[in-house]
Amino acid sequence: MTEEIRGPKRGVSTYSYVGELNTTMTLEDCFQDMSDMGAYGLEILADGIIEGYPIPTKEWLNNWFGLIAKYNIKPVEYGHWIESRLYADHELDVEESYEMLSHDIKLASYLGFSVMRTKLGVIDETLTPVKNWREIIKRALPLAEKYNVVMLPEIHAPTLLKDRMIEEYCEFIDKEQTKHFGFNIDFGVFQVRDGINVRAIPGWDPNRPTHSEPEDIIPLLPYVHCCHAKFYDMNENFEETTIPYDKIVPILKEHGWNGYLLSEYEGKNKDVPGYVTTQLRRHHVMLKRLLGH
Amino acid sequence: MLEKEVVQHRGFRNVEKDGEIIGFQVAIRQLGYRGAWLSQIRFDSVIVDGVEYREDVVTWTISGIEYTVEEMKTLGRVMWPLNETAILTVKKPGGLEQGEHEVQVITGHIASYIPPRMDTMYIEMAKRRPNTRKLIIV
Repeated sequence: MTEEIRGPKRGVSTYSYVGELNTTMTLEDCFQDMSDMGAYGLEILADGIIEGYPIPTKEWLNNWFGLIAKYNIKPVEYGHWIESRLYADHELDVEESYEMLSHDIKLASYLGFSVMRTKLGVIDETLTPVKNWREIIKRALPLAEKYNVVMLPEIHAPTLLKDRMIEEYCEFIDKEQTKHFGFNIDFGVFQVRDGINVRAIPGWDPNRPTHSEPEDIIPLLPYVHCCHAKFYDMNENFEETTIPYDKIVPILKEHGWNGYLLSEYEGKNKDVPGYVTTQLRRHHVMLKRLLGH
Repeated sequence: MLEKEVVQHRGFRNVEKDGEIIGFQVAIRQLGYRGAWLSQIRFDSVIVDGVEYREDVVTWTISGIEYTVEEMKTLGRVMWPLNETAILTVKKPGGLEQGEHEVQVITGHIASYIPPRMDTMYIEMAKRRPNTRKLIIV
């Protein structure tokens, strides 16, 4: 494998292919597409991709390691969930949550990932995590260190980068002085139009901003290990029409941020064969121009 | 490969036991991007030609293992894989008549990363987005 570029790099989340995987595309088709685009960083969503999950089948593992080598793909981010509302009669306690999490830490590491998109259960409309998140993460830090992975909650609209919850995450990271917990920022937080219809959410504060400003990410960058390069609509001029990429990407470059931008297509026609690959290729023309590589 | 729709053509058939037809089966897929833990599935009904069949007469078969809906509620570490169909077996002596039927399945599953308000809304949403298909019993 060639020496990795320092700075923002390009990749793809298999989430983009959700409308075609298992019907008109295989995992290998995704890898072929990424290879064509020169987008070598990969995110998988573990329970939708790994056959046999939580215990992968031998056949799937052989296929996985074969495809990684054949297409020169770098496993970047392993998406997984702590299902706090797994059972109807109680919310998972710290030990039950750790049981799920520890399995994923080991599996992610075995598959070659160093970053985990650790999705916590939420308790409200702005996606505040479960009350015991600190205990759960603290319990898992030694294992994350041992297996050399970093756990990242995904910061996703309608959460704002200036919300109190983000400060609380930062305070936790500083207090624990850990390199094994941080953020994945989903660019949907910067979306200026056609985003989540917050007005439809009961109890929504009409004075609350609907999105964050690109510069709001700057103080968070030391904690950000990965970004979901969320996109909805790439036009024929290779512009994203809802999210200000032309402002976001230069900020990441100027501040020397080092990590992967993983394309996550969230627009229409996901299940129309060829539509998503067209959108992805346009997205990567734009990113390649903005990044210079 | 699976068909794009929730309700699949392949898997639709009557079920025979000891020379008698005891019911029918229909296979469904998930449209999301994740597998589902069995305990998070919220099944409502199978509807054929307007007749509703609920959990008292429906079992689920996942990766070859048959479960009652009641059993599924406690199975938090067994997953319905995204790339496999679930086979719903409906108890109905005599099965379905030969020919075309309108088949709909109303089911959903909850996810902890979505606001809890949504937990009770999945079935309503499933009802608003009918997945009815015309399938043939031979």
